[in-house]
Amino acid sequence: MEETWQIVHIPDNPPFPPDQQPTVDAIASLIDPLFANTLVRRLNQIAPLENLRHVKRVHKKFVQGGKTQLSVILCLASQNGNQLDSIQNDVQELMNSYQLSPFITKVCKYAASSKEEWEEQCKLWPTSYHPPTYNIEGITGFSQEDSQSVFSFMKYAIQLAKSGDNLEVNAAVIVDPSVKQVIAKACDQTCSCYNPKNEITLETSCIEKLETSVCHGISGGALSRKEHSNGFPAKSEQLYTGVSCLCPWGWAEQESDMSLRYCHPLRHASIVAIESSAARDRLLFPSSGKTQDKSFEMDHMQSCSAASPAKRQKTNPTNIQVNGEDNLDLNGEGCTRSLSARPYLCTGFDMYLVWEPCIMCAMALVHQRIRRIFYAYPNPKAGALGSVHRLQGQRSLNHHYAVFRVFVGTDI
Amino acid sequence: MRLWTASKFLLSKISYNCMNSICHAFKILYTLELCTHLCVIVEDGKVIASGRNRTNETQNATRHAEMEVIDTFLEQWREHRLSKSEVAEKFSKCKLYVTCEPCIMCAVALSFIGIKEVFYGCANDKFGGCGSVLSLHSTPKGEGFKCTGGIMATEAVSLFRSFYEQGNPNASKPHRPLAQQATQ
Ligand SMILES: [Zn+2]
Ligand SMILES: [Zn+2]
Repeated sequence: MEETWQIVHIPDNPPFPPDQQPTVDAIASLIDPLFANTLVRRLNQIAPLENLRHVKRVHKKFVQGGKTQLSVILCLASQNGNQLDSIQNDVQELMNSYQLSPFITKVCKYAASSKEEWEEQCKLWPTSYHPPTYNIEGITGFSQEDSQSVFSFMKYAIQLAKSGDNLEVNAAVIVDPSVKQVIAKACDQTCSCYNPKNEITLETSCIEKLETSVCHGISGGALSRKEHSNGFPAKSEQLYTGVSCLCPWGWAEQESDMSLRYCHPLRHASIVAIESSAARDRLLFPSSGKTQDKSFEMDHMQSCSAASPAKRQKTNPTNIQVNGEDNLDLNGEGCTRSLSARPYLCTGFDMYLVWEPCIMCAMALVHQRIRRIFYAYPNPKAGALGSVHRLQGQRSLNHHYAVFRVFVGTDI
Repeated sequence: MRLWTASKFLLSKISYNCMNSICHAFKILYTLELCTHLCVIVEDGKVIASGRNRTNETQNATRHAEMEVIDTFLEQWREHRLSKSEVAEKFSKCKLYVTCEPCIMCAVALSFIGIKEVFYGCANDKFGGCGSVLSLHSTPKGEGFKCTGGIMATEAVSLFRSFYEQGNPNASKPHRPLAQQATQ
């Protein structure tokens, strides 16, 4: 049963179909391996591949008889006219003195964002592949142990969101992965009337549907996953109007049998969880209250530096109760911990969400410096991490997290 | 003094017959800690709520002025025991005035609550959600709000600049010692 659980990285850029990646033309030539070093050094000076740093200068090909054949990119081809006529003078001179005969080749325009893309790129012309510059653990895969831990926190989040057998709301769980501890958890609070025990809807078998649809998607190949391309746990989206991130504009229209109810349209699960993790920080690391840290406010600013904040300073793991998720341990060392141990927002923490967050929640998680986000179900109408927007690919932001979708197994 | 610059900037945006109430709102702001990000919500020409950035004191980096003002607003309506549809109706008549372009989070939050109109001072190149980075004030389906930016942007920028120059902000040193200027 467990086999169906799966963690998939959602990259910063929408993946191109591997065989349809944008390319540009370059002028290349076969060369004598004896001159390879000299030529490459010279070419890097006179015709550097400025915006194509991922493209390798030399293409090594194994030909029959165990021999290798080297070709090198001389320069980029011009977009119009006869490409071979537009070669700049010093490259032309080099070609003449080494008696090179140029040909046109295609190279991929953008660096590969996944291993699959990279393998495809190399069929045209070799490129280098660097997993994202902010090398967040998990992007290149999870160990067995880490996967199990991710799955169990996701199960925990799904249990939180369940009311009876339904996933009526979103749930958010902030975790410190270094000690596998829950830091904060919350469900949607857009209506305070929400009460899991009293809310019984007509649809009672939605979780079972969820299992079959998701499982089907994973094991049944591309076709059956397409049928559930929304990835919704059940057939009808109407069931999920109570999930704040799915219907963020719908709060006013939602039916309620009482006219006087407290409602707060912005209290989505992520926002509430961030609030409670901040409250926890204030309790555990009280300060004089006068310390000014303007870097928080910098998020508004156009003039602010792009430098990322200091790394979360590790608190002593022995002070943390590994399984006491609700216990803030306020009588112990917590209160006397010096300000220097105060963590910087949620740096280093992971967020588990049942549903892909809306853009308000996704941006809130950027502000609060979450390290990784795991979600189980996509949000096709308002999702900000791949469905409608792709906030993780927004380069202007001062913080970047890694995003993963967790395909849920049948044992839920 | 910086706060007065900010209030002057905001005042100039609002019709003159509501001067008194705005002055009152900013007097309250003035007695609080200095902040750069200020906003007020106006209903029928009257300031009915104001907000300031409270990210530092709350350790919660999402407590931007806009989120604060929305909370204040909802709290007032809860006290008046307004229903959900009455709350929605109220929001649809309100305008928000803010010194700096709302960030992506706040822009979409303002769209969720259904505010009528937003006016802001300087643009926010890195985080702005009303045109600078993303345009969340209008969706293809018509949700969103009317949005006017760049009003007295020079004044707004100099307000921010003076704040940051004196605070010597440096994001790589998040736990700087007390900045004396901050309490002026
Ligand atoms: Zn949300
Ligand atoms: Zn904001």
